[in-house]
Amino acid sequence: MKVGVLSFAHVHAAGYAALLRDMDGVEVVTSDPEAGSAPPGEVRGEVLARRLGVEHVATYQELFDQGPDAVIVAAENARHRALVELAAKHGVDVLCEKPLATTEEDGEAMVAACRDAGVRLGVAYPVRFSPAYAALRDAVRGGATGPVLTVAGANNGRLPADSRAWFTDPGLAGGGALMDHTVHIADLLDDLFGEARAEEVYAQTNNLMYEADGVAVETAGLVTVRYTNGAVATIDCSWSHPDHHPTWGGLELQLVGERATVEMDAFCQVVSGFDERQRTGVLLPWGSDLDGAMVRAFLYGTEAGEVDGDGPAVPDAVQVADGEAGLRSLRIALAGYASARSGRPVRLGDRTG
Amino acid sequence: MPELAVGLIGAGGIARAHLPAWLTLGARVTVFTSDDSGERLAAEYAHRGVRAAHGLGELLDSAEAVDVCTPTHTHREVALTALRAGRHVACEKPLALAPGDVEEMIAEADRAGVLLFPAHVVRYFPEYAAMAEAVAGGAVGQPAVLRFTRTGTYPVWSPWFADPALSGGLLVDQMIHDFDFARLLAGEVVRVHAHVRGHQEAPAPAGCVAAATAVLTHASGAVSHVHGVWGLPDAQFRTTFRIAGRDGVLHHDSAQTKAFRVISQGAAAQGEGIPAVNLTESPFLTELREFAEAVRGGPEPRVTAQDGLAAVRIAVAAAESARTGRAVETGTADGTGADGRDDESPEAPETQEAPENQEVAR
Repeated sequence: MKVGVLSFAHVHAAGYAALLRDMDGVEVVTSDPEAGSAPPGEVRGEVLARRLGVEHVATYQELFDQGPDAVIVAAENARHRALVELAAKHGVDVLCEKPLATTEEDGEAMVAACRDAGVRLGVAYPVRFSPAYAALRDAVRGGATGPVLTVAGANNGRLPADSRAWFTDPGLAGGGALMDHTVHIADLLDDLFGEARAEEVYAQTNNLMYEADGVAVETAGLVTVRYTNGAVATIDCSWSHPDHHPTWGGLELQLVGERATVEMDAFCQVVSGFDERQRTGVLLPWGSDLDGAMVRAFLYGTEAGEVDGDGPAVPDAVQVADGEAGLRSLRIALAGYASARSGRPVRLGDRTG
Repeated sequence: MPELAVGLIGAGGIARAHLPAWLTLGARVTVFTSDDSGERLAAEYAHRGVRAAHGLGELLDSAEAVDVCTPTHTHREVALTALRAGRHVACEKPLALAPGDVEEMIAEADRAGVLLFPAHVVRYFPEYAAMAEAVAGGAVGQPAVLRFTRTGTYPVWSPWFADPALSGGLLVDQMIHDFDFARLLAGEVVRVHAHVRGHQEAPAPAGCVAAATAVLTHASGAVSHVHGVWGLPDAQFRTTFRIAGRDGVLHHDSAQTKAFRVISQGAAAQGEGIPAVNLTESPFLTELREFAEAVRGGPEPRVTAQDGLAAVRIAVAAAESARTGRAVETGTADGTGADGRDDESPEAPETQEAPENQEVAR
């Protein structure tokens, strides 16, 4: 199987390339023709490909000429549409970085292009493949929690601009922390709640942390989402993890149901200690590889019954987020911006998704 | 400190937390309730010199300071009676169910020249006090995004808690602690949005749950998330916070700081409504000592009646938002700021926060 990586703009691109490189039976080819547009100091293009030990071609057309079975789009958020449409045009399945796009119009066009071309469109929400999420999903869908009352979630990270400046470019990123970090938990709840849909969004944002550093987008935000099943979730999407903290951040949530309160932490599986020689803390993550699980599921599918090993068959095993799901989490982020501007809750126009 | 004569009104959960603290402080305590629960509480502590009064008048005659530990809907009337009699008053939070009632209480305290102290005990929890002092000292820079959670069992032990008309409900009764703290750290609140879910009426059957989420927007631009739960009977009392700014982050989870832990005991433990003290001095004792010292002419307590008023304003705005589905603006254009004392103040909004910071630093 041949898999292409389109663009190294996203911080996850190198991870995808290395993951594909190490997968048995997968041949990886990459292309990062817009590497020249990146600020000096950002390692992109041919240089990054060589460092990763993966093939790199000069243009996207050359990549598609090789006839890939699937591609992963890791461009800047605003450049997703063109690359997804290119994949659709070549009849190639495409896994697109989150958020799907920066405007509803782009997102809808991407979903339509893939549908019309008969190709699969996946959106890269790897936390769906966290075992902690699987346990949460079983607890909620199996009825152990009872009806869900509230969810308090946090997806905090460092300001990502140090490694990729475009994350704080409103034109390329579509916004700041709200666009970057609301959508992961919004996507989990989209999957968790099944047919229930977000119907109202309230958001407040600020840039108190980084305005003085010249950052032009919001770097902190709280987003409250009301769902048609009566549940209410508040998501802290802030880039409020200190720059020099030894971890990148994390994703955790508490869910209060009528019959149980449960919590998940997607990145807490770490051995911690202290290295006396380096005089620094030691963190050894040992949790499962979420990106790997997501990419495998996208390339090979998920088969009911296999995910649980010895356990009972799971008739509704978690799937890679599809374009429609990507569009729904994008709409929540966009409604968040509208709410933050007006100071009022915003109803989502399309409740059926 | 010379012996203080304290009139304790109420004999419920919070009165039982306050009474040992008063005795530790060497106070002479008289208890009054309108039913016989005060006499029973006094009898339990008769060996420590606690006696029961047979009427509010008798209690006031015997006391220099009154500790109001009655259900919230009675605070206004009880406190006003004590204030009119010229007694210093410590009043359990919330000071009252409506900002107007609190203003009336404050006006009466001012007229009588006595102290009206809102017993916001979270100000005296050592982990919160340590964090507040560090934040005031610049540990995180300007607070930008704050989170608070608070979980206990649903307060089914007294029927009035479950009735929003009597307690204000989860947002007003419980989450007011964190509203007060968010305001302490990040300044006045100008906008509130909240939802509440679950069981919100009396009676509260065993095993019911209520949960609420509130987002506060501060005048500084900072945002705070407060999540409160009245939980299942096995819920362990737990609070968390995370305070983030450009220069750092401070966080706490009471589930992670238990210096004494029960690992097994043969049967599932029930939860707790009022927190067991975490091997430090009782925050109730710290709180009432500060009040007692102020009564004796010492420094003003770290939390003032104006803070209690501001907390009620935020909580009532949150309840209004939950009821109407709208975001509620709390800093009004006519100059009646969220602290309710700036009607004639010529100060610019930015300078209103200065007293806050001084207060944190104390």
